[in-house]
Amino acid sequence: MNIIVCVKQVLDPEIPPAKFKIDPEAKQVIPPPGVPPVISLFDERAVEAACRLKDKHGGTITVLSLGPGKAADVVKHAVAMGADEGYILQDAAFEDLDSFGIAYVLGKAIQKIGGYDLVLCGRQSADWGNSQVGSILAEILGIPVITLAGDIEAVDNKLKVKRILKDGYEVLEAPMPSLVTVSNEIGLPRLPAGVRIMLAARKQVPVWTAQDIGAEPAQLDRANAHTEVTGLSVPTRKTECEIVTGDTPGQAAENLASKLAELL
Amino acid sequence: MSPVSATYWGIPGYAIFWVLFAVAFGLFAQRLYFLFRLMRLGKQENRFDRIGQRIKTMLVEVVPQWCNLKTVTRKDLAGIGHAMLFWGFSLYLLSYVIFIGLAGGFGLSPVIEGTTFEIVYSSILDIAGVLITVALIWAAIRRYVVRPQRLEPSGEAGIILILVFVLMALNVSVVGFGYAAHNIHASWPPLGAALAGYLSGTGLAQGTLEATYRGVWWLHYIVIIGFMVYIPRSKHLHILVSPVNILFKPLGPKVVLEPIPLEEAESFGASKIQDFSWKDLLDLYTCAVCGRCHASCPAQLSGKSLSPREVVLNLKEHLLEAGPGLLAGKAEASSESQAKTMIGDVVTEEEIWACTTCGACQEECPVSIEHIRKIIDLRRNLVLTQGKMPESAQLMLANMQSRGHPWAGVQSLRLRGDWTTGLELKILAEGDSADTLFWVGCTGALIERNVEATLAMTRVLKAAGVDFAVLGDAETCCGDPARRAGYEFQFQIMAEQNIETFKSHNIKEIVTTCPHCYNTIKNEYPRFGGDFKVVHYTQLIADLIRQGKLKLTEELNSILTYHDPCYLGRYNSVYQEPRQVLQAIPRTNLKEMERSKNKSLCCGGGGGLMWIEEQAGTTKINQLRLEDVLKTGADTVVTACPYCLQMFEESIESKDIKDSLQARDLVELVEAAMKQSQSGGE
Repeated sequence: MNIIVCVKQVLDPEIPPAKFKIDPEAKQVIPPPGVPPVISLFDERAVEAACRLKDKHGGTITVLSLGPGKAADVVKHAVAMGADEGYILQDAAFEDLDSFGIAYVLGKAIQKIGGYDLVLCGRQSADWGNSQVGSILAEILGIPVITLAGDIEAVDNKLKVKRILKDGYEVLEAPMPSLVTVSNEIGLPRLPAGVRIMLAARKQVPVWTAQDIGAEPAQLDRANAHTEVTGLSVPTRKTECEIVTGDTPGQAAENLASKLAELL
Repeated sequence: MSPVSATYWGIPGYAIFWVLFAVAFGLFAQRLYFLFRLMRLGKQENRFDRIGQRIKTMLVEVVPQWCNLKTVTRKDLAGIGHAMLFWGFSLYLLSYVIFIGLAGGFGLSPVIEGTTFEIVYSSILDIAGVLITVALIWAAIRRYVVRPQRLEPSGEAGIILILVFVLMALNVSVVGFGYAAHNIHASWPPLGAALAGYLSGTGLAQGTLEATYRGVWWLHYIVIIGFMVYIPRSKHLHILVSPVNILFKPLGPKVVLEPIPLEEAESFGASKIQDFSWKDLLDLYTCAVCGRCHASCPAQLSGKSLSPREVVLNLKEHLLEAGPGLLAGKAEASSESQAKTMIGDVVTEEEIWACTTCGACQEECPVSIEHIRKIIDLRRNLVLTQGKMPESAQLMLANMQSRGHPWAGVQSLRLRGDWTTGLELKILAEGDSADTLFWVGCTGALIERNVEATLAMTRVLKAAGVDFAVLGDAETCCGDPARRAGYEFQFQIMAEQNIETFKSHNIKEIVTTCPHCYNTIKNEYPRFGGDFKVVHYTQLIADLIRQGKLKLTEELNSILTYHDPCYLGRYNSVYQEPRQVLQAIPRTNLKEMERSKNKSLCCGGGGGLMWIEEQAGTTKINQLRLEDVLKTGADTVVTACPYCLQMFEESIESKDIKDSLQARDLVELVEAAMKQSQSGGE
């Protein structure tokens, strides 16, 4: 079973809110110094899902990351977890692409790799959180998509996916190849172990440019973008604290419950 | 005349003597050779360096019985009893060689019998025999009446107590019957002579006395060689093995963790008994089941399933069970699937994750068993090969890997370099050099309470005119939590990276506030090519006070008690300096806890357990230690470790006694005791 996982390198979500700075003019985030970027949380779970399928059925895992040269770190992280190969997609033309542009680039790279049974993405990125790339990518590749997977099984050349719903889950079947976006319900990503850590550290991660994957300049032209960021701001946080009391713990709980009912 | 020179049913006594000896010695040697071959199943490890120093250490510990006497406390005097048995029994062993072996087996009795040497030696044996008997009775009372927590009353111990007593009685009987049968009227050795006097008075026929004498003599001989056969098959194997184990004990740091060669293949750590080193297997033979480790283990004391004693005993049993098959090379699938899996059946995961690596077990062990590295080897297998660990451990380790520190989640409050904000500090940039580096450590940089101590430290250093630099946000974890949790590769990556950083800044001396960083950089980095002078701040401050560079002039008006951090005390024997610093505060009122210095009880935070969930339904170790603090009546518990400080803060908070007890880092008290004008800082 050959799986391709798309991973994104993001600003570490674990930084103090006060350190989170943006440039409203350029509509960009200014990364704080001394905080190394990390693999997007949901993408890490997508790698975990891929590793579990590989543990069970064998095959290969190929990781793709669209981003700067530093994105080699997330590819290496995925290799340490269990991926076999990884590529970085980097080109001046790839900068500031919207979800459609990103999906186009990923699609080109995936077509170049070929021979896949499953494409996995995180349910959304941990920075912008658009949750669009997966679905658009499936459209480009012309394969079915299942979003928000909590569990993926491969049975008789078919995928059986547990899809998380607001109030439970549904189980869907899809042929291979398909694209699945992975949710955190899949479980904790494994800790890279044993020789894989060294293997990953020594891994050469090739960089593919627009030319390498045969991306057409017109498709990457920002003028043709489907979406535009019109403004960027940091929401102001307001915390109001109210201590709910009661004569007995039971009473306090009751007061708290009615307070919550009021608010919800 | 020796009974050996007589003939029995036409068979010469000598023949009987040597045939019996050959059989017994054969059984003895066979067992030892078997055990030796089992031990050789273990992995190689070089413990043959500095052999002269090793022999000296062994002699110093064994002959004067320091190995046992060092464990003696007012509450546990058993070590004295053991020393009595050891010295007494050594005299007996030698006497067997001379009076049974040489005199009997080699027919030298005409040369030895009746000499002053014999009479003096026999008299000494009488005295030794009495001492041994006293020790035996004491030991029996302890085992079967008093029953201290560390001793399980075992049948094996009973057998040996009776056997030794029988030997003592037989020794006296041989002399008594011998004197009586041969009409020797002497007053020495006293017990034997007294028995002879009694026997002569009974009017028994000379022939009967002679026959009984011979019977008693042969019985004595058989018990002795029987003892020889029994020893290597019982826990009293330690009589033979413990001097050897002490010979191969670590000469430097007490806990030696072998780095894993990074190029090595699929399996890491220990999942099978032969994955341990030969020294680890020798350890198993050495255990005499004294239970001192069991009684001092914080996990055991707080009701967790881990007992270092049981780990050692269960592994030994497993080695003896699985060993013969391994020796025969029979690794057939069927027998293997039926065999026990070491992790799970022999030592449980719950036990493996309960160890704080506090070192109390090894400190207490009279025979230098190394428990901790076995636990770490088991963790290594779980983490590196099986990928199995508590979720809390996994979160910590994943954070070490992605963020370079073990405090998952705290970065959303504070970044590593934040504590330096607004301070005039020399923060090393690329290309900068400094002689002295203040290594802050993850906890001191990231956790609010510990940052207070870090800031106090910088103010104290400045006030004393120490020229130092810090790494600021370029500092990373020393790797200790990863290593103790079995995530060896992450540790090795961090060690190599840090050594490179130190070298790139030409660092000569490193001052740490965290004893875990201190131990790691001082004792573990040299294996990776990092030899730096490492000082714990308590040592530095004690030194600054001695040199008059720091003057503590203010009284604190509080009752202090000092909690020894394991990695400072037991791991590195720094007991005096923190106390010297506290004593330098005017009119200090320092109370010692009952468990202090090398007997100190762990706070519960070592070995990665700062981040790993404690076994449900058990007492929290920090609560246990808090009870020790409360018994002293102190209003301030002082420590010199960020984990300990955290643990006390947490236990004080959850017991809700913040009004009557506070936890302070030693450096905070130093700052408080400095004259206000002296403490400049910010």
